[in-house]
Amino acid sequence: MSNPTVVATAARPDSGRALLRVRNLRTEFKVGQGRVQAVNDVSFDIHPGDVLGIVGESGSGKSVTARSIMRMVRAPGEIVGGSVEFGGEDLLLLPEREMRRRRGSGVAMVFQDPQAALNPVMTIGDQIIEALTLHGTEKRTARGRALELLDQVGIPDSGVKIDQYPHQFSGGMRQRVVIAIALANDPVLLIADEPTTALDVTIQAQILRLLLRLREELGLAIAIITHDMGVVAEMCSRVAVMYGGRVVEQGTVEQVLRTPRHPYTAALLAAMPRLDDERLGQPLPAIPGSPPDPSALPPGCSFAPRCRFAEDGCRHEVPALLQVGDEDQLSACFVAQRGVAVNVTPAFDPVAVDPVAAEPVPVEDVLVEHRTAVDTDTVLEVRDLRVDVGSRRRGLFHRDPPVYAVDSVSLAVHAGETVGLVGESGCGKSTLSRSIVGITPVAGGSVEVDGEDVTSMGDEQVARIRSSVQYVFQDPYASLNPRRTVRQSLAEALSLRGLRGAELEAESHALMDRVGLRREYLDRYPHAFSGGQRQRIGIARALARRPKVLILDEPVSALDMSIQAQIINLLEELQRELGLGYLFIAHDLSVVRHLSDRVAVMYLGRIVETGTAAEVYGDPQHPYTVALLSSSPTPTVEERTREQIVLQGDLPSPANPPSGCRFRTRCPIGPLVHPERTICAEQDPELLPRHNHQAAACHFPGELL
Amino acid sequence: MTSIEAIGRARATRRLNPTVARYLSAFRTTRGIIGLTLLGILVLAAVLAPVLFPGGYDQQGSTSLTGMSAAHPFGLDEFGRDILTRSVYGLRIDLSLIFAAVPLSMALGMVLGLAGAISERLGEAVQRLFDVVIGFPGLLLGICLVAVLGPGWLALFLTILISGMPTAGRLARAAWLSQQSREYVLAARVLGVPKPKVLTRHIVPNAMDSIVVNGSVWMVIGVYIEAGLSIVGLGVQPPTPSLGVLLNNGLRFVTQAPTYLIGPALILVLLALAFSLIADALNEAVNR
Repeated sequence: MSNPTVVATAARPDSGRALLRVRNLRTEFKVGQGRVQAVNDVSFDIHPGDVLGIVGESGSGKSVTARSIMRMVRAPGEIVGGSVEFGGEDLLLLPEREMRRRRGSGVAMVFQDPQAALNPVMTIGDQIIEALTLHGTEKRTARGRALELLDQVGIPDSGVKIDQYPHQFSGGMRQRVVIAIALANDPVLLIADEPTTALDVTIQAQILRLLLRLREELGLAIAIITHDMGVVAEMCSRVAVMYGGRVVEQGTVEQVLRTPRHPYTAALLAAMPRLDDERLGQPLPAIPGSPPDPSALPPGCSFAPRCRFAEDGCRHEVPALLQVGDEDQLSACFVAQRGVAVNVTPAFDPVAVDPVAAEPVPVEDVLVEHRTAVDTDTVLEVRDLRVDVGSRRRGLFHRDPPVYAVDSVSLAVHAGETVGLVGESGCGKSTLSRSIVGITPVAGGSVEVDGEDVTSMGDEQVARIRSSVQYVFQDPYASLNPRRTVRQSLAEALSLRGLRGAELEAESHALMDRVGLRREYLDRYPHAFSGGQRQRIGIARALARRPKVLILDEPVSALDMSIQAQIINLLEELQRELGLGYLFIAHDLSVVRHLSDRVAVMYLGRIVETGTAAEVYGDPQHPYTVALLSSSPTPTVEERTREQIVLQGDLPSPANPPSGCRFRTRCPIGPLVHPERTICAEQDPELLPRHNHQAAACHFPGELL
Repeated sequence: MTSIEAIGRARATRRLNPTVARYLSAFRTTRGIIGLTLLGILVLAAVLAPVLFPGGYDQQGSTSLTGMSAAHPFGLDEFGRDILTRSVYGLRIDLSLIFAAVPLSMALGMVLGLAGAISERLGEAVQRLFDVVIGFPGLLLGICLVAVLGPGWLALFLTILISGMPTAGRLARAAWLSQQSREYVLAARVLGVPKPKVLTRHIVPNAMDSIVVNGSVWMVIGVYIEAGLSIVGLGVQPPTPSLGVLLNNGLRFVTQAPTYLIGPALILVLLALAFSLIADALNEAVNR
């Protein structure tokens, strides 16, 4: 795309009114001898009042694009071309002094991690005042303005909070402070780089709400950088999809989500599990391979090696971003530009892909009917489990009071069944899973594996039994020892089964085959693998002990969107073939919906609702479940108009749980709204059966829908 | 099995262990190369001392305490002995001391530092013991040891050995504590890998980095401990030379022959420089 006039006309017919016009932006990083093109020929407009979503996976260049607009790309990165027009001038040509004045007052930025964006030794008031005075506000009036800003972003008791330090704020409140600082100097454009990725769904819903309200009240334009199609669907008016450093598709949210015109967008949307999924029990149409390494992009279209529409031309020439279909939907795909519909869900067939770049994807053509009733053996049973995480520190004369991160939790996993465990961070779901496998000591209750109580056993016996419960960790980068080859990691597990020599070799080959990795990879170190491949290795290692139950602790949440479906399919396939029981822990409700037979919802150390997945998702009884379902963003435009239940406040501390019902401090049907419901504060509701398999711990179950 | 696979396997096994590869990468930096070359020259000179100076270090002459000259670059000492010869022989003693004491010290320190893996209490007790050692200045520890063992190589060896252990132990314990919560260590525990194996496979290799760097720093400190004890006359006894002994003598004759000191001091500085550069390069390599 060397002719800029073509771009100008193609990008938007009425680009005259645009607030921000990005044209042919290029940003490169110097790495060793070579140069990595992180942002390659990116053009888009943001109009007043627009909410533009820039979506992409890791390495797609979306964050670098945002930083390039702010001219905050640090060495070895360098903006090498293009223009960023804002308020009639090219930001890229301004002297640094001038640019500094634009940052904050013209364009402001909100970063992903509110913890890192705030200075821990300054009160938040001082930090807001600093932002104000830097841009010329009088010191005397600054404090008043800071209070006003805190009120604006919805921080209660702003008069008290203004003199507090960041550590006294929760994650969601910190992000509000960061937004307040960004708003300090009345910017007209707010760029938010993954503003809710570090937050829980209920908090995410609050922050997204806030951003939308600010847009209304202040007439802001917002650019949201995200990897989450759900956030895009909920928030944005326009969307630009990035892949391999380029914008591959652009259009209104309705256009892109309803009729995607680029095979990548289409495949991505098809591969995502959904809350209202009708494909239960079927493998997801996963995209083969993994996102390209920005330092080794394919010569033609970056997506060509993974694309089922790819032709010869796609592999040699980079397609330009041109108008396809109606009005101003743009797509950088030769096939779509010829008028071929790329959004038809394929009859699932194997795709010819470059074997080196792509991970093999198990192809499953058998449709398995969804399992509902479970009559198999119980392989894992947890009864009244309590885990104390408080009294670890004991001094000579005192012992800290116990803090039960898990408080009287009971659940069972049958062979061949998936139990989904959902809840926000801090609800105790990871502590529960770790105490089941014996990493965290148990304070009370029992864990039965295969009918035998492991909490009352000798060490040796425990080791034998425990091996039948294995664990797959969330972070595939942290769970493999970087100094050991895959062979060594697998051998460690296999040798515990007594395998040696040729037997061990054969078994590690079998494991590699099973998880869809090539045998030659055995001698590689973890750093040579992508995230998805590492997670496959983690699964292979867990399988090496021939477990009956796998505890899957957020196994896909650290992976790129296009990889998640691959791992989900693999897990389903393994379960079918090996009859494994899964305890699947996740905060992503749609993934849980897709995989689970039964679901348990956890809040502050307690299970508040259980039931079959269909029951819990279809007819939630506990208000917390309702709120969770309502808060989780779905990548469909139809859902935009629905009434959202946004929970107020944050998760209380398990060290000091509220009396009575633990959820009452945030409950939309509890004493907050109905002061006469004193029972919620006085009595701890039991987990009582409601329907068939469903049970909820609420005094007023089923009231909120 | 196809031949291609076999070749692939052979190539893969020949590929270096990443830990070793990382340490070796230190010696591809400028600092590493200079340090290693310098150390190489010094070690070579020390090893070849009997060949280079076949007369030995105690060959006396008629003139004494001369300045530097072409025949005797470092000058002659109070008994007319060539100071260069004595410096190189002295270097032998110093190198033998630190090459014997420091690695052993680091290894023992690491083992003691990991005592917490056996029992939490034992670990705590060892740490308090380390506190005691750290509380003693190295020189004082040396004087105590000399009082018991008498001056000489053994007392110096033990002084360096003991005073080096606490830092290695602390580093090992720190690594152990931080590694324990690493997911791959948890993964090993869930698999049922016995505790000692978890320690040797997953924790020790990670503790090695900081200890290797610390070891090369202690090489320098070892030389200083030797020099310190020898300067006050508690080190190697005459006529055997060590760098410290030579400095001690040089100080005594500093008014008559001010250049006496320069030779041994230069060698000491070069040795310290070599180890410092290596330590620096290693530190950079392991943190890369």
